Amino acid sequence: MGNITLGRYIPMDSPIHRMDPRAKIIAMLFVLIAIFFRAGWIGYGVIFVAVSIVIILAKLKPSFIWRAMKPMLFMLTFLLIINALVIKTGNVLFTIGSFSLYSDAVLSTLYIAVRLLLMIMITTCLTATTKPLDMTLGIEDLLKPFTKIKVPAHEIAMLISIALRFIPDLIEETQRIMKAQESRGVDLKEGKLKEKIMAILSLIVPLFVSAFQRAEDLANAMEARGYAPGEKRTRYRILKMHGRDYLLMFGALCILIGMIGIAKFL
Amino acid sequence: MQISFQHVSYIYNEGTPYEYQALNDVNLDIQEGKITAIIGQTGSGKSTLVQHLNALLLPKTGEIHILDRVIKASENPKQLKALRGDVGLVFQFPEYQLFEETVLKDVAFGPKNFNVSEKDAIKRAKEALQMVGIKEDSYEKSPLELSGGQKRRVAIAGILAMDPKVLVLDEPTAGLDPVGTKEMMQLFKKLNSDYNKTILIVTHDMEQVFKYCDNVVVMQDGSVKVHTSVDEFFRDAESCEELNILPPAVIRMKKMLNENGFHIEGEIKDITALAKAIAKEVKHG
Repeated sequence: MGNITLGRYIPMDSPIHRMDPRAKIIAMLFVLIAIFFRAGWIGYGVIFVAVSIVIILAKLKPSFIWRAMKPMLFMLTFLLIINALVIKTGNVLFTIGSFSLYSDAVLSTLYIAVRLLLMIMITTCLTATTKPLDMTLGIEDLLKPFTKIKVPAHEIAMLISIALRFIPDLIEETQRIMKAQESRGVDLKEGKLKEKIMAILSLIVPLFVSAFQRAEDLANAMEARGYAPGEKRTRYRILKMHGRDYLLMFGALCILIGMIGIAKFL
Repeated sequence: MQISFQHVSYIYNEGTPYEYQALNDVNLDIQEGKITAIIGQTGSGKSTLVQHLNALLLPKTGEIHILDRVIKASENPKQLKALRGDVGLVFQFPEYQLFEETVLKDVAFGPKNFNVSEKDAIKRAKEALQMVGIKEDSYEKSPLELSGGQKRRVAIAGILAMDPKVLVLDEPTAGLDPVGTKEMMQLFKKLNSDYNKTILIVTHDMEQVFKYCDNVVVMQDGSVKVHTSVDEFFRDAESCEELNILPPAVIRMKKMLNENGFHIEGEIKDITALAKAIAKEVKHG
């Protein structure tokens, strides 16, 4: 639990950390969309190099990115098994009994693996270099044009920031309750099915109780400070775009256009 | 010696940017059958230290000898499960661990995990609830219906029902009212004197240390700074103040009296003893 890296902010002083969150979110969206075009290995190579440059600039360790990807390995193995059973085109790689593995099964799994890998790299770049608070400021600003069509931009941003704010707390709480129950002899790893259900129950019930308690406390604290969702609010921090932010967005846009080009014409 | 730490170090989040050394070469022998207070500022490693006692945390280096068992880095936690029944650990705000439908079931949950039969577990639960002063008419209530102080008692009963030989309490009285605090501390004292349990208490309250504990361990920056008897520790106010610890009121009073012409020597355990000493001085003076 303690080494969850997906979506964690890494405090560091780097050019990427200092960038405007809006620019980073837009750039991420461009590149994410770009990944969905079938741009072949060259296209993915280009994206990989571009993202790697950002990672190096952001002073993130490759081991950190790797840890963020680890949970996906299980999913990919699962995918490979399904693909191997379902896809029956391409060359036969080898045959065991009545089962033969086709090259397309491996290729299509690899294709998805590369896309997933890139997506995780890109989103990790954003979350690791942007403070959760800045992120919600950025999201709120980006959603502002949509308030015209009754999208509650501020409320959505507040919701996200509260959710993000409580993730570490809930992880900590879970660990605490786990330890407390382990001290009472709960074995979360071993045991019969009935014991396991009991063990999970002993974790979930207190977690729910404390989560609701926290939510109520927070709601009261917000109301006590006069928070009203619909009101017009001023802001202490005003986001400002700089040259480098435009450069980042432009670079991402170029990648997107390039990928569309490769997918359409090559 | 029943419990001994030998060169124990612990590091949180090793190898990440959040790396933090919580314990640094701790050597400590804790006396059997006594109440030992563990004090120190927030972040000094008290909670980390006590979580080693029932192998919730395994040391990165060094080893811990406890009740004829050895806890060390290479030990498989599975083999240490039985240890958790012998060393009862009560966390800060333990009321959060309550989850069963009824108070009685929740208290019986611990012993049942250690393969005590249903019938015996209920029996032990009732005894434990009686010890902490929960009345019989609450046994069938949901633990969530109880007041804060009662929840705390039920949670502590949940550990007592396991009948541990060593009881470790991490700030057991935080957030309780003065009456509740006093009853709680008297319960621990009774468990120590009547049931001969070794007790460790993490606390910030010097009055409690002074009044109820036998020995005191001062933690500072992940190391043991001082380990001595309570009487020795509070003999003079100066040594406490050096460690940035406010001595108990009686000791402060003694110091102020001595600074203003009194000569009160020897151990003063409580306010009555201080009053007698003053009376003696006044008579002779």
